[in-house]
Amino acid sequence: MILLEFHNRIVEETLNLRFRNAKEGNKPESIDVTVADFDGVLFHISNPENDKTKIIVSISLKFYKDLEEHGAEDLIKREYGDFMTTTEDGYSVSLLYNLETIPDDFEEIVKKAALLKRNCFASVFEKYFEFQEKGVTGTKRAVIQYRDDETMYVEAQKDRVTVIFSTVFKDDDDIVIGKLFMQEFKEGRRNYQQAPQVLFSHKEPPMELKGTDARGGDNVGYITFVLFPRHTGAAVRDNTINLIHTLRDYLHYHIKCSKAYIHSRMRAKCSDFLKVLNRARPDQQKEKKTITGKTFKMN
Amino acid sequence: MSFGKSFGPTGTPAVIIDCGTGYTKMGYAGNTEPQFIVPSAIAVKESASVGDKAIQRLGKGVEDLDFFIGDEALSATSYSVKWPVRHGIIEDWDLMERYMEQVIFKYLRAEPEDHYFLLTEPPLNTPENREYTAEIMFESFNVPGLYIAVQAVLALAASWTSRQVGERTLTGTVIDSGDGVTHVIPVAEGYVIGSCIKHIPIAGRDITYFIQQLLREREVGIPPEQSLETAKAIKERYSYVCPDIAKEFAKYDADPSKWMKRFEGMNSITRQQFAVDVGYERFLGPEIFFHPEFSNPDFITPISEVVDTVIQNCPIDVRRGLYKNVVLSGGSTMFKDFGRKMQRDVKRVVDARLKVSEELSQGRIKPKPIDVQVITHHMQRYAVWFGGSMLASTPEFYKVCHTKADYDEYGPSICRHNPVFGTMA
Repeated sequence: MILLEFHNRIVEETLNLRFRNAKEGNKPESIDVTVADFDGVLFHISNPENDKTKIIVSISLKFYKDLEEHGAEDLIKREYGDFMTTTEDGYSVSLLYNLETIPDDFEEIVKKAALLKRNCFASVFEKYFEFQEKGVTGTKRAVIQYRDDETMYVEAQKDRVTVIFSTVFKDDDDIVIGKLFMQEFKEGRRNYQQAPQVLFSHKEPPMELKGTDARGGDNVGYITFVLFPRHTGAAVRDNTINLIHTLRDYLHYHIKCSKAYIHSRMRAKCSDFLKVLNRARPDQQKEKKTITGKTFKMN
Repeated sequence: MSFGKSFGPTGTPAVIIDCGTGYTKMGYAGNTEPQFIVPSAIAVKESASVGDKAIQRLGKGVEDLDFFIGDEALSATSYSVKWPVRHGIIEDWDLMERYMEQVIFKYLRAEPEDHYFLLTEPPLNTPENREYTAEIMFESFNVPGLYIAVQAVLALAASWTSRQVGERTLTGTVIDSGDGVTHVIPVAEGYVIGSCIKHIPIAGRDITYFIQQLLREREVGIPPEQSLETAKAIKERYSYVCPDIAKEFAKYDADPSKWMKRFEGMNSITRQQFAVDVGYERFLGPEIFFHPEFSNPDFITPISEVVDTVIQNCPIDVRRGLYKNVVLSGGSTMFKDFGRKMQRDVKRVVDARLKVSEELSQGRIKPKPIDVQVITHHMQRYAVWFGGSMLASTPEFYKVCHTKADYDEYGPSICRHNPVFGTMA
């Protein structure tokens, strides 16, 4: 698995199971599941007011307020339409499904529900891609505080959209691996002319963020993507959003995989060295005997 | 059934992963069922050439990411399927580390830096293995906190949901029966009495084989390649435990229409329906726990007797507690009335022993009767995972976890010991 999946498997499987169950005419069971997703997102799947024929799927994003400023609600309305319902307490968006009126081809609906987090994120990108397409300049930079100490900046210019992620590394090794990994990104661009430009800066925020409260520090890294119309066009827009909204988790996933790989190498090398050491053990001097039990001494 | 949801310092629920020999149960704390139950299998690309497998596997490029786990592993073609867990103990750490990558990032979609983790281990796991686990979790995945719980203790905690249990105690005998083997594990105040554990070579798979054999002798319609899955389906759907075999036979013979069931299946090749009568095997299957001589000539001790021996081997001051709290866990203990028959049989052995000692003292000593109680509850199938989910959603869990700071300060050896908790809650 090189790319992370964009949908939430747990939401997908849970809903599929319930919907199929309902379609087969079985008695609905009560449900109350709370699961997490990347970036501190929580999903809550439950029955509203203990009505087992209805299922409510709620998502909580800590930074939903930031997204709302960029039209998240309109996008959710467009994507989910009638499934939207009054938001559950403590959550950001809620979708309501009635098991009695679920259409036969519910797979599509389920797939969409599983993409809830992605669609929440999408609003800000769609907005700025739009700006760029229409050539609107001078818009304010979007700032999304997507984790407690990590921020995403999106900015539109006439010919490009710049997306900047800040990320915090918890471990010293992560900084080194992360840096190498991002360097490979830059290198990789040479072979793929159509790839967006990637810049990685460590410790210091990039020039674009001069004068903002973007913080620096030993364990902070900034990743800048420059997206050209080639990437933001209507045909490829969805794919770009899919990829870019998982970027932070993608980076951290690969740092972890690299560490696992290094560990495998270390284990392999270690058992190799052990073999050498075992070979180096001197043989016990054993007295050789003839068949009658006599020994010869060589002087 | 609900319990308080405590999210700990990271504001996220803890992740519970119970890695068994056959299946891995994973999910988030606070839920009543695991979110995923997948085979503990990993499919990797492996070349046929000779040499050290560990070095060959390293490869170059992104080959280390080219693998599948769980059901996807079993259906992947041109990969070789590996089972890194054997007899409950992790054997291949390279594969296990990669297995965890996908468990965390693909299935659970958890950022490991944000979640506390509760992993499980079998009784008698080595302290070194705990260190290896800690190394993987803390160094590769940067988890903020880790707790390694013993499966039997979690199974005991899961039994607290049963109405039969008056107080929350971590003293009891756990009968854990899965697919491969059955263990009887005595636990005193949260600590496993390792020297007294006994294994019984009869479990789910043996029941399936036994039913398959009975069907083979009688039914002709079953396609041979499907006979195992038919037997398994019959076991899961119709089997139960009867109080007395002789009476049960008589009952069936007197009124077959009431007791005989009919199982209908479909031939996977010809797509034709076939039907099988389900008769005595309904109660004979699970009966091999109580009469192992039916299927296995080498092992003939009934399970109730094993439980009694295990408890008799334990220190005398915990025996009453162990008899009072016999807890069932695992899929093969799910048969109807399994617990009831177990309780009756153990009670019979215990009472007989008390009577003998009374007779030997010629009536001078009147022993206090021993309370035998076998506890069944709804969560038996995933008892271990459920116990973990329950304990990890208490605020106490976050106090006993080993944290990343501790790990960095003292090293992996801190994970050798995981304090018992939960009884005060």
